[in-house]
Amino acid sequence: MPENTQNNNQLSENSSQDQPAVSDVLAQCEKEKQEYLAGWQRAKADHINYRKDEAKRFEDMARFVTAGLIQDVLPVLDSFDLALSHGASSEIEKGVLLIKSQLGDILKKRGLEEIKISPGEQFDPEKHESVGEIESEHPAGTIAEEVQKGYYFQGRVLRPTRVRLVKNKIL
Amino acid sequence: MSKILGIDLGTTNSAMAVIESGEPKIIENKEGARTTPSIVALSKSGDRLVGLLAKRQSVTNPQNTLFSIKRLIGRKFTDAEVKRDKEWLPYEIKEASNGGVEIKLQDKWQRPEEISAMILQKMKHDAEDKLGQKITEAVITVPAYFDDSQRKATQASGEIAGFKVRRILNEPTAAALAYGFNKKKNEQIVVYDFGGGTFDLSVLEVTADTIEVKAVGGDTHLGGDDFDQRIIKWIANEFKKEQGIDLSKDTLALQRLKESAEKAKHELSTTPETEINLPFITSDESGPKHLVMRFTRAKLEELVRDMIDRSIEITRQVVKDSGFALSDIDEVILVGGQIRMPAIIEAVRKLFNKEPNKTINPDEVVAIGAAVQAGILQGEVKDVLLLDVTPLSLGIETLGGVMTKVIEKNTTVPTAKTQIFSTAADSQTSVEVHVLQGEREMAHDNKTLARFILDGIPPSPRGMPQIEVAFDIDANGVLSVKAKDKATAKEQSVRIEASTSLSKEEIEKMKKDAELHAEEDRKNRELVETKNTADTLVYTAEKALRDAGDKVPADVKSDIEAKIKELASIKSGDDVSAIKRASQELSTAMQKIGELLYKQGGEQNPPQEDGGGTKEAEFKEK
Repeated sequence: MPENTQNNNQLSENSSQDQPAVSDVLAQCEKEKQEYLAGWQRAKADHINYRKDEAKRFEDMARFVTAGLIQDVLPVLDSFDLALSHGASSEIEKGVLLIKSQLGDILKKRGLEEIKISPGEQFDPEKHESVGEIESEHPAGTIAEEVQKGYYFQGRVLRPTRVRLVKNKIL
Repeated sequence: MSKILGIDLGTTNSAMAVIESGEPKIIENKEGARTTPSIVALSKSGDRLVGLLAKRQSVTNPQNTLFSIKRLIGRKFTDAEVKRDKEWLPYEIKEASNGGVEIKLQDKWQRPEEISAMILQKMKHDAEDKLGQKITEAVITVPAYFDDSQRKATQASGEIAGFKVRRILNEPTAAALAYGFNKKKNEQIVVYDFGGGTFDLSVLEVTADTIEVKAVGGDTHLGGDDFDQRIIKWIANEFKKEQGIDLSKDTLALQRLKESAEKAKHELSTTPETEINLPFITSDESGPKHLVMRFTRAKLEELVRDMIDRSIEITRQVVKDSGFALSDIDEVILVGGQIRMPAIIEAVRKLFNKEPNKTINPDEVVAIGAAVQAGILQGEVKDVLLLDVTPLSLGIETLGGVMTKVIEKNTTVPTAKTQIFSTAADSQTSVEVHVLQGEREMAHDNKTLARFILDGIPPSPRGMPQIEVAFDIDANGVLSVKAKDKATAKEQSVRIEASTSLSKEEIEKMKKDAELHAEEDRKNRELVETKNTADTLVYTAEKALRDAGDKVPADVKSDIEAKIKELASIKSGDDVSAIKRASQELSTAMQKIGELLYKQGGEQNPPQEDGGGTKEAEFKEK
C-alpha cells in the first residue's frame, strides 16, 4: 500500500505538463462520485418512500373495496327499514327485525355507523342531503324529518342522510 | 419546482391531474372523489358550498345553486344558446352592462367567470392539501368550439382563482395528448366525447409540432343524463301499467328509482341482463308494493337508440366538414362516461371500421391530457439514469425438464435473486445448472444460455443438500449465475455477457410462442410436477417403512407396500389424474404410520427418542 501512494504522487507531478492533470481527473471523478452517490441515495429514498406509499395505497384500497361492498348493501338495509315500517304479523316482523340486526351487526363490525339526526337540527350538507320541504313546528331551514338513513363508514360519510327541511312559512 | 395543475373544467363534473415522476396522475378532492361536481351554492345560512356539498342541498335551494355555468361563460346575453338555457335554468340571469351574462347568487349579481373561479379555487385548495405544496399555475381545458371570448373568460376565471393560466387547451387535444398521439405525425384523429350533458365531436390533425382542430360539432343538450331519464320514465310507466300507481310524485320512490336506473345502466355495460329490485317502493290500501323488473341490454338499447344514431349522424357530418373521408381517420378516441355502453362503442367501431381507443378512464382522460400538457410546459426533470428491464424470464432446469424461473420477465435491472435447490437422487454428488431464458414451461422449449456442473457435494439422501443458486444481472445486462453447496461452501459460477442481446423480433417471437403453447405447456408441467410429487412420495413411504421397522403392524405395512407398488407402476405413465389418485391413497395410508408411532411413542418413552435425535443433528453440524 505505501508503495502505491508514492507512485500516485510521482505520476501527478510528471504528467502535470502535457496530459490532463491528475487533479483534474480526480476532480472529475469526485464530481461523478457525488453525482452517483446522490443518484443512489435518491433511488434508495424513492424506493423506501414508494414502499411507504404502497402500504398506504394498500390500506386505502382495502378500505375502498370494503366501502364499495357496503355501499352496495345499503339498499338492502333501506329495504329492511321500509319493510319494518309497514308492520305485519308480529312474529314475522320480529324475525325480520332480527335478520336486519344480524346484517347490521356484521356491517357495524366493519365500521358502518348510522348518522343520527333529530328534527329541528341544523342542516349540514357534509352529512345530510335535502330532498324536499314540508311544514313543521321547527324553525324554517332546519331538518323536519328523515327520509332515508345515512351512514358513516370508518368515520367518513359513506352516504348522507336524506332529509326533508322545514319550509319557510309564507307570510 | 412547483407543479402545474391540469384541470378539466366540465359542464357537470370537473377533474384535475398532475405529473408525478413522469406519469400523469388524477388528484382526488377533499371528499376523496376523482371528479368534482361543477356546482356552486350559497346555503341558506350563508355558507359558500362547492361540489358535492352544493349538490346535496340543490333540491331545497334551487335559486342559489348554480350549475352548468360552462353553458354561459363568455357568452353574450343575446346568444341563442343563452336564450334557450334561460328557459330551464332554475337560477336568475340577466344582461350585464357589457352585453354578457350575469347570474344572481343570493342578492349579488356575478359574472359566470367569478362562479367558475369558485370551482377552480376549491380544486386548487384540495390539490394543495393533497400534494402538500403551493400550486400557482394551471392548464385549463375548454371545448374545441369555444370562441375567443369564451376562452378569455375561462382564463379569467382561472386567474380569479389565483392561478397563472399557462394554457387554455382544447378538450379533444387533451384527449389526444393523454393517448400520446402528439407523437404520431400526419395523422387524423376523431375525438367522440359523450359526456353527462353534452356531446362533442372533433376532428384533429397532428402535424409536425402541433395538433390542429380541423372541424367540430355536437349537441349541447345530448348526454348520458338523457339516457337515465329515459330509463326512469320507462320503469315508472311499466310500474304504472302493472300496479296503477304513479311513482313520479313520490320523492323517495323517485330517488330510489333514479339510483337503481343508473346502477342498472352501468351493469348493462358488462352484463346482458340485470334486475331492478326495489322492495316496498310504495303502498296503497291493499298494502305494500314491490318493483321487480327484468332489464336487458337490448331493451336499454331500444330506449336510447335514436340518441346513439343522432351522435353517429353528427360524427359523419363533422368528419365530412373536415374535408376527410371516414377512411382517412387514423385513430378514434372515446371520451365521457357514457361511452362505456357497448352499443356506442359498436356504433363508432362500425362507422370507422376501426377499434376505438378507450383504455384511459373516459371520465379522466381530458384531465390526464391537461396534466400531460402541463408536464410539457414545466419540462419534467429528465431521468438521466435509464434503467432497463429483462425482456424474458431467466431460470434453471429442474427435475423432469421443467423450467423454474428465478427472475421474472419485466424485472427492472440491476437485480439479484437467490433460490435454494436440492438433489433428486440419493448420494448424488453433482448437479448440472442449466441456465435458461424464455417463457415456456418446459426447459427444452427455452433458450439455453449456459450449462455448468457443481460437483463435490457430499453423498447424502435426496433433498438434503442445499444448493443456493444466485442470479445477478448488472445494469449492463450481464448475467452472473452462481451455484453454491451450503454444506461445503464449494461453488461454481458462469458469466453471460449477452443475456439481453436478443433482437426485438426474437423476444416477441418467444413471448408469442409462450402464449400460443400456454395450455399445452401448463399440462406438461402439471404432469411433470405430479410425477415428481409421486416420486418423492414413493421414496418417503419406503423410507418411513424402513425407519419404522417392525413398529408397524403387518397389515398396515402390506397395505402401504401395495399402494407404493401401484403408484410406482403408474407414475411413469401420462395419466395425471390416476397418478394424483394413487398419490392421494398412498399419502392417506401413510398417515397411519404417523398415528401408530405417536401412539406408541406416548405409551413408551418419547423424550428419550427425541433427545437422541437432536443430539445427533448437533454433532453433525460441528
